[in-house]
Amino acid sequence: MPATSLPDGSPDPLGGLHDALLAWLPGQRWFPAKGREIAGMRTVSHAVISAPDETPSVEHAVIAVAFTDPGGGTGGAGEERYQLVLGAQASPPGDLEHAVIGRRTLDGPDEVVYDGLADGRISRMFLALITENATRGPLRFVAEPGSEAPIVGPGRPLLGEQSNSSVIYGERAILKLFRRATAGLNPDLELHRALHRAGSGEIAPLLGAIEGELDGEAMTVAMLQGYAANSADGWSMALTSVRDLLAEADLRADEVGGDFAGEAHRIGKTVAAVHLELAHALGTRPLDDAAARDVEEWMLERLDRAAAAVDGVAEQRDAIAAVLRGVTSAGPSTLQRIHGDLHLGQELRTPTGWLVIDFEGEPSKSLADRVRPDSPMRDVAAMLRSFDYAAFHQLAEWEQSADEPDPQLERRAQEWADRNRSAFCDGYAQVSGTDPRENPELLRAYELDKAVYEVLYETRNRPGWVAIPLRSMRRLLTPVGRAER
Amino acid sequence: MNEGVSAGAAHPAHTSTAATGENAVAREHVRDRTEDHGSQAVEEPSAADFRHARTLPVDGDWYKRAVFYEVLVRAFADSNRDGFGDLRGLTDKLDYLAWLGVDCLWLPPFYDSPLRDGGYDIRDYRKVLGEFGTVADFVEFLDQAHARGIRVITDLVMNHTSDQHYWFQESRRDPDGPYGDFYVWSDDDTRWSEARIIFVDTESSNWTYDSVRGQFYWHRFFSHQPDLNFDNPAVCEAMIDALRFWLDLGIDGFRLDAVPYLYERDGTHGENLPETHQFLKRVRKVVDDEYPGRVLLAEANQWPSDVVEYFGDPEIGGDECHMAFHFPLMPRIFMAVRRESRFPISEILAQTPEIPANAQWGIFLRNHDELTLEMVTDDERDYMYSEYAKDPRMKANIGIRRRLAPLLDNDRNQLELFTALLLSLPGSPVLYYGDEIGMGDNIWLGDRDGVRSPMQWTPDRNAGFSTCDPGRLNLPVIMDPVYGYQAVNVEAQSNSTASLLHWNRRMIDVRKQHPAFALGSFHELGGSNPSVLAYVREHTDDDGNQDTVLCVNNMSRFPQPVELDLIAWKDFVPTELTGGVPFPAIGELPYLLTLPGHGFYWFSIHPAEER
Repeated sequence: MPATSLPDGSPDPLGGLHDALLAWLPGQRWFPAKGREIAGMRTVSHAVISAPDETPSVEHAVIAVAFTDPGGGTGGAGEERYQLVLGAQASPPGDLEHAVIGRRTLDGPDEVVYDGLADGRISRMFLALITENATRGPLRFVAEPGSEAPIVGPGRPLLGEQSNSSVIYGERAILKLFRRATAGLNPDLELHRALHRAGSGEIAPLLGAIEGELDGEAMTVAMLQGYAANSADGWSMALTSVRDLLAEADLRADEVGGDFAGEAHRIGKTVAAVHLELAHALGTRPLDDAAARDVEEWMLERLDRAAAAVDGVAEQRDAIAAVLRGVTSAGPSTLQRIHGDLHLGQELRTPTGWLVIDFEGEPSKSLADRVRPDSPMRDVAAMLRSFDYAAFHQLAEWEQSADEPDPQLERRAQEWADRNRSAFCDGYAQVSGTDPRENPELLRAYELDKAVYEVLYETRNRPGWVAIPLRSMRRLLTPVGRAER
Repeated sequence: MNEGVSAGAAHPAHTSTAATGENAVAREHVRDRTEDHGSQAVEEPSAADFRHARTLPVDGDWYKRAVFYEVLVRAFADSNRDGFGDLRGLTDKLDYLAWLGVDCLWLPPFYDSPLRDGGYDIRDYRKVLGEFGTVADFVEFLDQAHARGIRVITDLVMNHTSDQHYWFQESRRDPDGPYGDFYVWSDDDTRWSEARIIFVDTESSNWTYDSVRGQFYWHRFFSHQPDLNFDNPAVCEAMIDALRFWLDLGIDGFRLDAVPYLYERDGTHGENLPETHQFLKRVRKVVDDEYPGRVLLAEANQWPSDVVEYFGDPEIGGDECHMAFHFPLMPRIFMAVRRESRFPISEILAQTPEIPANAQWGIFLRNHDELTLEMVTDDERDYMYSEYAKDPRMKANIGIRRRLAPLLDNDRNQLELFTALLLSLPGSPVLYYGDEIGMGDNIWLGDRDGVRSPMQWTPDRNAGFSTCDPGRLNLPVIMDPVYGYQAVNVEAQSNSTASLLHWNRRMIDVRKQHPAFALGSFHELGGSNPSVLAYVREHTDDDGNQDTVLCVNNMSRFPQPVELDLIAWKDFVPTELTGGVPFPAIGELPYLLTLPGHGFYWFSIHPAEER
């Protein structure tokens, strides 16, 4: 087996493919830097996973893509690193045509190189290697101890995914390849492992993982989980409910058939259970003065970044900072591992209940920041923000052509958000024993922190949505007691 | 007691020479009985006293394929102008039911009864309620139904009788006589306090004191319905003989009412006891040995995981009841459409266990009872009931005594969606009389009579139900401007092919063309849109013919797109079933469909080269 990291000066094993890869990358949904100008690429590591005489040949690679702007990359300034699984064959079957990256000539005859996850033979091989606990080159295939191995068969790429690439095995299992290559244990695997071993019923069961190396450190390549068949995400369910309400201008949020409060309550219970399980499995420490100052500091840093970019934030900078400082004066609380990027889209409704998915944390943060213990209130606040988003996003869809929002509909949307935020907190309190609303300064600080981040994010990425967090920001700056009902 | 004689006299056309001869024998029995003075068992009428209906060929799983139709004799058609529907009136309407495509009629009890509980208080198991006609009328009705290929089942209440049944009258009068031990008597009223009181509104105890016998008697329902003592072998025999009586006449099966309560045991709540299952196995054996092809349908208003027990041993394909009602599915269909979410249905189906090979669910949208959201629950196992008790609007808006059309605001789209679900979800559909034309109800009538008003046949007097003086009608016909008989009736809808009646008939017909609807496996497809419920029914017959049906239902009132994972049928072609229009072939990508508000599709999926 070839070595993994490439020594300096050695020939790039993907050398002949660079142009093809650079043409192919921007068309991939998981490639986030679509607007950025690519300066070039290099291969960081490369390994052949398949046996020498196996067809197709299967390769794992980490590539670094350099950009002309400095950005905030994972592989150094101006650079982002990505994982690839490649298949190579003289003439692959016709149904892989859509996955072809390019042609390359190595020592032997011409080969067609394609996206390996599209090939059922390769996804089947990965599943088999996991059940065998095999090691291939730098990759360790690990079955989760005690987990029932799914029946080995070809997988099928999941379409429509955003930041990663997944393969589904006959509604039984799902393998997620983390596209962004980051040295260290991916918190998604880390927390799923901890929760799974704690017997959590709030996550899709962990079945195994593929681990590799990067920069001399362990790296999470992929994660295998039970597949939640027949599920739908909370975001689309919430929008269904808001839609139902907005169509009934004279009915209140608690009167329409599409009322979501029962589900919001169940989501609150589910999130609280995950918090308890994480605290139990990975420990807690008090949010003492020093820790609170740390949290306050992160929040203020983020505020200043946003204020520098968005006028609407800059104007309110001091008022916002005053609320964020509530972290230090808030009542007693604890720090623990949390989800870190919770929203309605990270909750899956299955026929038996709710699951929380995707524990990777906020994508823009560094790994060190993502694994840092934080207050569970961050997740709670993020969920409350998400209910706001659902209500007012749907309202915006409804009123696309209107210059002025209909005040009646706006009231309905606010009513929906309030009702479901409140039901979420009720459910959360029922399981955790602590009502988040009993610590209003802390909750408000976290919610405002999130809203500030959202204003920045929307300004940069989705200017049409920025009114939603701006509106919430204004609301959160009004005195406590009026904000939360 | 022996109505065969009077029936023969009143309706000579119905009585064959042979039956007359048998009646003579029956008359002997009556004479014997009247000369006795009560200390001996009463000789009951025998099926041999009557003509028997022709029987349909034995068909092992007809009940799995059948479309059932619940019809209230009282409310369907009145042949003798007394204001009550009767068996002869019903017989006259069999052509209509055959035209509609009904395979089996379910008749709530038509036995002799003081009618203090809608006929579920039986005074004589072998006699027909006077208003409805006679046993001979029943035999004629059955014979005519069979002539049209329509089967007939009826309710049989085994748990209790009316307190006017002569068994009870004898039991209280003569504790040492042949009926002394037919009921559950006790000197005090403290035993089995764990058993819940079902009719809490009217009953304060499951025991009532009888001053004649000087003891308390046990009753799980009304105090005028004493429970039979199934620990007495003579009671078991008497009950099985009552079943034999109707089976000999040709009836195709029974819906066994209130089966969970047959036995009582210390330290239990007296429901679903092993002894009850033992007795049902015995009844099933009688049916299988002596009357193959006839069925037993359990009425057990419990969670599916409890109800499956009433199918019996799955190892041998089931050895108790052939069918059982799936009670929780119905309110969840309403809930799903109210919520615009498939999950209320997905949940209950995910919680529904596999059933034995020879068993089948009966499913329904409405029946003669109120729409119950109450479900006997086992809190330990039941996640959903406690969860949904928190969604109170479901109870407030649905737990009422309404017909299907008014429950759905007479919205044709919803009526069609609900019916499409009924005809395509796993189980044999049970239609309720009048819902096929979208009849309304009369909420001003007390109790459950609001949904039992006369069938609306024509815009004529009394809706064509009866030619009696309108004031003599048992229940008034519906007369409001939306649902009244002048607007909603069979005659008008028969004349318009766009009517709900014709639509129902076509859908029943489509269902029958595809055995997958009746016999197929059920697999939910999921999909990212929570408002869309999509599932596949698949069946392979003994000759290896594959029938695959895809059903896609929009629970929302708004148009919806859905992307379905149909990769398992790559290169297959979906053909829409009502019009036969082929849709684009299934490819590598998720299959995109768009549905109008409350819209649905039924597709047959078959390889491109077929058809």
